[in-house]
Amino acid sequence: MEWRVIALEEHSACLNMGIDEAILEGIRDGTSPPTMRFYKWKPGAVSIGRFQSMRDEVNIERCRALGIDCVRRITGGGAVYHDQKGEITYSMIAPESLLPKGIRESYREICGWIIEGLSTIGIKAEFAPINDILVNGKKISGNAQTRRNGVVLQHGTILYDLDIGTMFGVLNISKEKISDKMIKSVEERVTRVLDYSDVTQEKLYSALLSGFVKGKDYTVGTLTGTETERANELSKIYGSDKWNFSR
Amino acid sequence: MEGSAKQKVPGGKLLSIKVKYGKKVEKIEILGDFFLYPEEALSEIEKSLTGIDTNLAENEITIMVQSVVDKEGAELVGITPEAIASTLRSAIKNGMESNSA
Repeated sequence: MEWRVIALEEHSACLNMGIDEAILEGIRDGTSPPTMRFYKWKPGAVSIGRFQSMRDEVNIERCRALGIDCVRRITGGGAVYHDQKGEITYSMIAPESLLPKGIRESYREICGWIIEGLSTIGIKAEFAPINDILVNGKKISGNAQTRRNGVVLQHGTILYDLDIGTMFGVLNISKEKISDKMIKSVEERVTRVLDYSDVTQEKLYSALLSGFVKGKDYTVGTLTGTETERANELSKIYGSDKWNFSR
Repeated sequence: MEGSAKQKVPGGKLLSIKVKYGKKVEKIEILGDFFLYPEEALSEIEKSLTGIDTNLAENEITIMVQSVVDKEGAELVGITPEAIASTLRSAIKNGMESNSA
């Protein structure tokens, strides 16, 4: 089966989530091809996992003051600060038949594409179940997956740079933890591409793409008109308090 | 009364439970960075635990959660029915302790 690749682009948090779900619906309906898309968040955003509490996890006032979007994902997992310049996000949306049946095995498979891509720029990464990728024991990529109607959606981030100060400002971490000790602790647990390679973000994107498409037939494409229309509709739901503050 | 408890499930994810209760559980919220397929099954788990006796034993809560998971054909990743049961019991206990303090 031929995959569609949608090249690196920038959208708001709500539209990014709407696009993912619109493609998922399209594959369910047999009108969209299996798709890999790469994107950034403009403006920067905090996304929380499906089962998290927005008020517990996010400093909403701080986000508003900084013009940072807040959105609840369709997928589980944790809260993530998506710096506009500090990371590349991907989504992989495909019928279950194209991936290993088990959830844990499919995480391993798709994370393997990221690991392959990073290897082409000299970064040796390893899969850390359930859903992380580490370099030298530090997290460089977090990933989250959902499955519905026979379709798998997995999205994740690859850290290129990291603005720890802003991250602490927008995620709710107790004041006691925002100490030098805690920042040091985060630096000890999290890493980024720039710590290991001086590649540009464009080069990182090329590297990731090569890992994702290796051994697959693909064409570079765009969203269909129907997908775009549906993504815009869904983005309104992702922008609603009813969805974002449902927990 | 209200209580809450958190635990990092060994080898898994963070699980947090907030509960309002009297003699029975009146409201329960299960939160965390875990995964559950299908996601809608969490509401069914919460519904099944709403109205249970506050003194219900941990192993009985585990059985109740497991039965909903089975009925919904759901898969928990990063948490377990046992973890939900033990965290709920801790949340109830914490609520009682803070109420009597």
